Amino acid sequence: MKLLRLMIQARRVDERLIKICRQGRLRGSAFAGIGQEAISAAVAVASQPDDLFAPCIRNLPLHLGRGETPLGVFRQALGRAKSPTGGRDGNVHYGRLDHGVYTMISHLGSMISVVAGGVMAKRRQGKDTVGVAFVGDGATSTGDFHEALNFAAVFDIPLLVIIENNHYAYSTPTSHQYRCHRLADRAVGYGIDGYSADGNNPAEIYITVRDILNDIRANPRPALLEADTMRMRGHGEHDDFKYVPETLLQVYRRRDPIRMGIRGMQAAKLITDDQIEAMELEIADEIDRSARQALSEEEPLADTLTQGVYRDA
Amino acid sequence: MREITYLQGIQEGLREVLKTDPTSVIYGQDVGAFGGAFKVTEGLQAEFGEARVFDTPISESAMLGAAIGMATQGMRPIVEMQFADFITTAMHQLLNNAGTRHYRTGDAVPMVVRVPSGGGTGGGPFHSEELETYFCHMPGVKVVYPAFPSDARSLLLSAAQDPNPVVFMENKTLYRSVKERVGDDLTALPLGKASVRHEGDDAVVITYGAMVHEALRAVSELHVTEGYEVMVVDLRSLKPYDLDTILAATAATSRVLVVSEGWRTCGYAAEIATAINESAFHLLDAPVHRLTAPDVPVPFAKSLEDRYRPAAADIVKALRDLIEL
Repeated sequence: MKLLRLMIQARRVDERLIKICRQGRLRGSAFAGIGQEAISAAVAVASQPDDLFAPCIRNLPLHLGRGETPLGVFRQALGRAKSPTGGRDGNVHYGRLDHGVYTMISHLGSMISVVAGGVMAKRRQGKDTVGVAFVGDGATSTGDFHEALNFAAVFDIPLLVIIENNHYAYSTPTSHQYRCHRLADRAVGYGIDGYSADGNNPAEIYITVRDILNDIRANPRPALLEADTMRMRGHGEHDDFKYVPETLLQVYRRRDPIRMGIRGMQAAKLITDDQIEAMELEIADEIDRSARQALSEEEPLADTLTQGVYRDA
Repeated sequence: MREITYLQGIQEGLREVLKTDPTSVIYGQDVGAFGGAFKVTEGLQAEFGEARVFDTPISESAMLGAAIGMATQGMRPIVEMQFADFITTAMHQLLNNAGTRHYRTGDAVPMVVRVPSGGGTGGGPFHSEELETYFCHMPGVKVVYPAFPSDARSLLLSAAQDPNPVVFMENKTLYRSVKERVGDDLTALPLGKASVRHEGDDAVVITYGAMVHEALRAVSELHVTEGYEVMVVDLRSLKPYDLDTILAATAATSRVLVVSEGWRTCGYAAEIATAINESAFHLLDAPVHRLTAPDVPVPFAKSLEDRYRPAAADIVKALRDLIEL
């Protein structure tokens, strides 16, 4: 139920962001994770308070699951003074360390080593922390992906690197990104375990993630998980994604993770139509209030431009 | 009082940090049992254990990324780049990931990156670079560059007490060639404070790193040959830098030569010259002069590198031109 709620909440936030973007009120573009919600929702639900995360572009359910609010997300996208980054950064570059969530940079693969170092520190402090870093299929081609996985393997850092294989890195299909059969097979080269799972099946991805996290928490070492999914929109809303064949989108539309989650729960009689409707209404109400509030708020004062570059000694 | 080398100064600073700050760790390539390519960390692993001083794979980017992760979770990582030149494969971690973090998130990133720098050792293009300009250009990053053993020791402590990413530049030619008598009291030196190494009023040389020693040789030669009294300012901190001392030296001498081992175009010397022009143009009797390496890769052959790298004789000539202008 928690997993389903996170997926629906993230979907509705993304839809609202797209609307605000189309109205021309967003700064820059909106970067939706529609269709990929199950993976990071599963991670959020399977995680423990001391765990650390390096989310990437399409991991809104993780942020929400770790304590960020829709209001914070709208403020961030709008560059408001009260946003998690105070308007210094935008769109998907946010996170709060008190939620265990690192703020990403745009250089793909570069956050994996950061969360690895964070987990090393927490473990030295006696915590049973594990880390989860998210990357897409494109980031697997970077040197940083390799450096960080090898580094984590050498030091037996309990870090799960999840490749959300959504078939396109911006416009580049996986056929132009790598030649291996499965990206999960790369784990062998690092001496770690590699897993594959259906990233659009909430039950399957949740059980997979939960079991891996339990395993590496008890026996510290990294692991690699390739989750198959599909980016159902452009890289950002500025992108018409004409390069994605409609037939491929159709396949994944039928396998929408929210639809699959609801069907599974209905089949197991874990949820009723009334409960779904109540959940949707509650989420819609919060999102509407949050969006309106964020839209009404101020941007940071221009005079604060040069403040906070350094921490005072 | 006892005499220590520049290398020992750095090592004593590292030892003091490991002793006094239980959250500190030192890591890098070959820094553990081997003691580092230059033996700066020799003996530290034996003294403090493998958990505090350890080797990593050859992964400059992962090394710096992990440092950001540790620094934001209560640790104090001190990372050694084997040679300054190799940090270029991880520049995004410093510029984008470490340098922007406090501004964007408010999180402190207390980490030190040691970069053995500079030429004059026959190291060729990839073991000789002097990259301070790159580091100083990065918002959110601080840069120090000691020239003397006592400063190396004290600045290492200051760098390791600062809540920001600090690039600690150390010059390879000074490791064993520069000695100084020091006491046993280790105190941190505030960042951003220059030191006047030689008094004088005919001109001033503003410099840092190995060039401080070349400048001191040059001004003593000029004193003997021509009787000129030339001030030498050792910047010690490159970012933030000590504008007050720079302007006071400009006011006292009216003739300024900035010397840098780095490349010329858009180099650190240009920054200092510009800062003087902006704030003290009316005090100058001559344009601020620069003496730097030319814009060429660091060459290998001795004949070429001797021409490439500014030395005392070049400083003597530049000062003569400046004073007699």
